[in-house]
Amino acid sequence: MSVLRPLDKLPRLNTATILLVGTEDALLQQLADSMLKEDCASELKVHLAKSLPLPSSVNRPRIDLIVFVVNLHSKYSLQNTEESLHHVDASFFLGKVCFLATGAGRESHCSIHRHTMVKLAHTYQSPLLYCDLEVEGFRATMAQRLVRMLQMCAGHVPGVSALNLLSLLRSSEGPSLEDM
Amino acid sequence: MEEQPQKQAADQPADSGGEGGAGGPSQVAGDQAARSEDRMTLLLRLRAQTKQQLLEYKSMLDASEEKTPEQIMQEKQIEVKIEDLEKEIEEAKIAFEIKQLAIDRIRLSTALKKNLEKISTESSVLMDNMKHLLKLNKLVMKLQQESWDLEEKLLDTRKKRLQLKQASESKLLEIQSEKNKQKIDLNCMENSESIKIIRQNLQMEIKITTVIQHVFQNLILGSKVNWAEDSALKEIVLQLEKNVDMM
Repeated sequence: MSVLRPLDKLPRLNTATILLVGTEDALLQQLADSMLKEDCASELKVHLAKSLPLPSSVNRPRIDLIVFVVNLHSKYSLQNTEESLHHVDASFFLGKVCFLATGAGRESHCSIHRHTMVKLAHTYQSPLLYCDLEVEGFRATMAQRLVRMLQMCAGHVPGVSALNLLSLLRSSEGPSLEDM
Repeated sequence: MEEQPQKQAADQPADSGGEGGAGGPSQVAGDQAARSEDRMTLLLRLRAQTKQQLLEYKSMLDASEEKTPEQIMQEKQIEVKIEDLEKEIEEAKIAFEIKQLAIDRIRLSTALKKNLEKISTESSVLMDNMKHLLKLNKLVMKLQQESWDLEEKLLDTRKKRLQLKQASESKLLEIQSEKNKQKIDLNCMENSESIKIIRQNLQMEIKITTVIQHVFQNLILGSKVNWAEDSALKEIVLQLEKNVDMM
């Protein structure tokens, strides 16, 4: 399958699957480990991918949340993300996609401007999170957040759906008018 | 469905260890109850999950039945449309929350009514709570009234202060204008012609007087009279010490 669709498979009982897409393997692995260490009532499955489309040979469960990890230090990761975004179905962007920008701590190394990410997140109407994945403490906090988001997107939290969460997370800061 | 060989997509699944909810302790005795409870909670949780997921699928179905406009719109228009739809969602949410609140209040009040009918009105925690509430409300109202009065007083004093300031300002202005007038008058007076003439006359008279005095003095000195003995003569001679200009 070349395009990821959110609801084409039935959900497994008590299982939530998250897909982390990014070019930095080490960071993704560390984030995945932190997430799996989190205390969660449902079973977590973390899939890592460098880019989309995913090979169709693997039998994988329904993906509940896609996180695009963009490293602000490398333009290549942004390019990779933009190309991967084409392979995601439009109905995924109703709350099941999230952008994670890492490396904002070291301003001097950043080659991608923060505005670019804000514009990207605004175009795709998805939440944008900032986290320095190299720092242990921030990573653990972000892992907690992602686990909670994943639970909501997978439907494990009664009363809150992915779309609901999206409208709650909507930030009032959009790209400024000069940039649009 | 095409395989794109250039893109190296590495796909590694990773599992978390077992479910957290059903992990029972290892002792056997007395754990049967705990485990059955855990199972109950697990079942209830799973039930809630499946309900939520079913709801999601249903809503997606309903959404896909609506016709989406296929014409190509400009990006700005799409964004405006998106904002409108989001506003609708928010309004629907708010209305729902308000209705939920209202329903909860109605439920609470009916439950309270039923409860009140059953129990006696003297001894119950509910009545105590309500009395306490009433007391607190009265206190709150009294304090609010007091603070309102104090604010009124504060406002009055401030008004008075402002009025005083304004009065003093006007008075000072008056004083200033009076002083200016005085200065102008003085200048006028000093520069007027009559004053000059008077001054000239005065100077003339002074000179004449000085000359006359000098004449008298010289007369007395010239006559070689002993003027120190006679008081009147002494007076005339010594008067010249006083400079007439200074008188």
